[in-house]
Amino acid sequence: MIKAFNLYKSYGGVSSVLSDISFEIQDGEFVFLTGPSGAGKTTLFKILFGWEKFDRGQILVGGINVGKLNQKNLYLLRRKIGIVFQDYKLLAKKSVFENVAFAQEIIGTDTKTVKSKTWNALKSVGLVKKKDSYPSQLSGGEQQRVSIARAMVNNPDLILADEPTGNLDSEISKEILGLFEKMNKQGKTIILATHSSEILREKKYRRLSLNQGKLVKFN
Amino acid sequence: MSLFLIKSIAITFSNIKSNKQLFLLSVATNFIAFFVLGLFFLLFVNLNVFFSSWDNHVQLIVYLDDNISNKNKNKIKLLLDTNDQIESVDFISRDQAWAIFQNEFEIKSNFITSLKYNPLPASYVIKFKNDKNRLENIKAFSLKIKDSRGIESLEYGEKWISKFEQFMIFLRGFILIFGVLLFSGMTLIISNTIKFSIYTRKDEIDLMSLLGATHFFIKAPLVLEGIMQGILGAFFSLAGIKLVCTYMIFKFHGSLDSILRGVDFQFFTSPIIFSILSTGIIIGILGSLLSVNQFLDTRKLE
Repeated sequence: MIKAFNLYKSYGGVSSVLSDISFEIQDGEFVFLTGPSGAGKTTLFKILFGWEKFDRGQILVGGINVGKLNQKNLYLLRRKIGIVFQDYKLLAKKSVFENVAFAQEIIGTDTKTVKSKTWNALKSVGLVKKKDSYPSQLSGGEQQRVSIARAMVNNPDLILADEPTGNLDSEISKEILGLFEKMNKQGKTIILATHSSEILREKKYRRLSLNQGKLVKFN
Repeated sequence: MSLFLIKSIAITFSNIKSNKQLFLLSVATNFIAFFVLGLFFLLFVNLNVFFSSWDNHVQLIVYLDDNISNKNKNKIKLLLDTNDQIESVDFISRDQAWAIFQNEFEIKSNFITSLKYNPLPASYVIKFKNDKNRLENIKAFSLKIKDSRGIESLEYGEKWISKFEQFMIFLRGFILIFGVLLFSGMTLIISNTIKFSIYTRKDEIDLMSLLGATHFFIKAPLVLEGIMQGILGAFFSLAGIKLVCTYMIFKFHGSLDSILRGVDFQFFTSPIIFSILSTGIIIGILGSLLSVNQFLDTRKLE
């Protein structure tokens, strides 16, 4: 699913954020991306979904050479990826249902399909009853579930989750982690960035550990 | 495609709804700009129509010396008869000219009509054929015969026509410069309104991009919003100008007949209306693209 070769990234050519990163993640794998704050986890994610460029190296995501994409055809890459953010990034003026539907509408899915797929996505995260609520009326855990429903609704091959449990307590975090594991069982490749020692202790998935921009462990 | 269009229109209206005041302000500014420019253009169009109609009434009057010899008179007559641009020639003798003059001015001035001698010369009143180069033909013929023996002077309103032509050139230049300035101004106004619209929806636009929307999909509603501003400004200005036009016709119809010679004040023709509306659309597209592209450029990969 992902192949990275000797990836380098710096800001302004001075401050090195990623240095000589190489790794390979197979289809259907569940991988934790770990490391302390400032280790380069978010930057690596941004590179994976084409929000930031890298200086050197190569990276292939689902067969797409990310470095070769330009601003206009980035959507080809992003449609293969579902992204879950720590701060959820839900649209405040849209209801739960509309937030999930939004991800399909912007890629031109027809109305009938949008309705049925949104319904199914909300069902799988257990939020059907809250479909008409607005983000401000939801708890943190519920908002993150909406965000997960939005990431999975277009059936992407890869899910990138950047600290999805960072703002949640441990009970809710487990529930959220359960949703990712469920998606993984359905064949999705999951990369989940976290520095929660509790999660890392309990779950024995492969770890991609970064420290000061360098890959220190990938077991 | 139709789904895409419906979605884009829906987003456009939602944008307008959330930035209603700014949208209306932009439409109003465009309306004023188009209205002012449109009035000047209307004046130009009507003066052109009037000039063309007046042009058809221009005739050349050749005043003859009082003591012109028959030989010279015949020479001049020959020149007139052999010119195929001339439609008709009327000879007005001195006595006829005096009689016409007295007839026209006897009520207005006793002093003039009580003169003991006839001060008026005989003349040829020459009407030229209707032709798009009619005025040029008159000018050319005047130059040809003005130095002929026995001709006292020529008259076809040359000075007046020349001044009018100069004024029309000035007006055309003024409208062009004024138009370019207003065009740029309106484009910037729309650009700024769209910029504001973009920044109020910045997170949503970023999210659209992250979720895999194409650039075209992101741009379309914003460009449509710009088009709406441009075309509504143009449309309302046309409606305003039409009102002014109707008022002018109502107010002055008939009373200026002697000057306008039956030519009524006119509104724009369909092609001009279409051009003005198209200009509104072009301004809307340019203004919105300016801001959208600028914004998307800041979202470039770094």
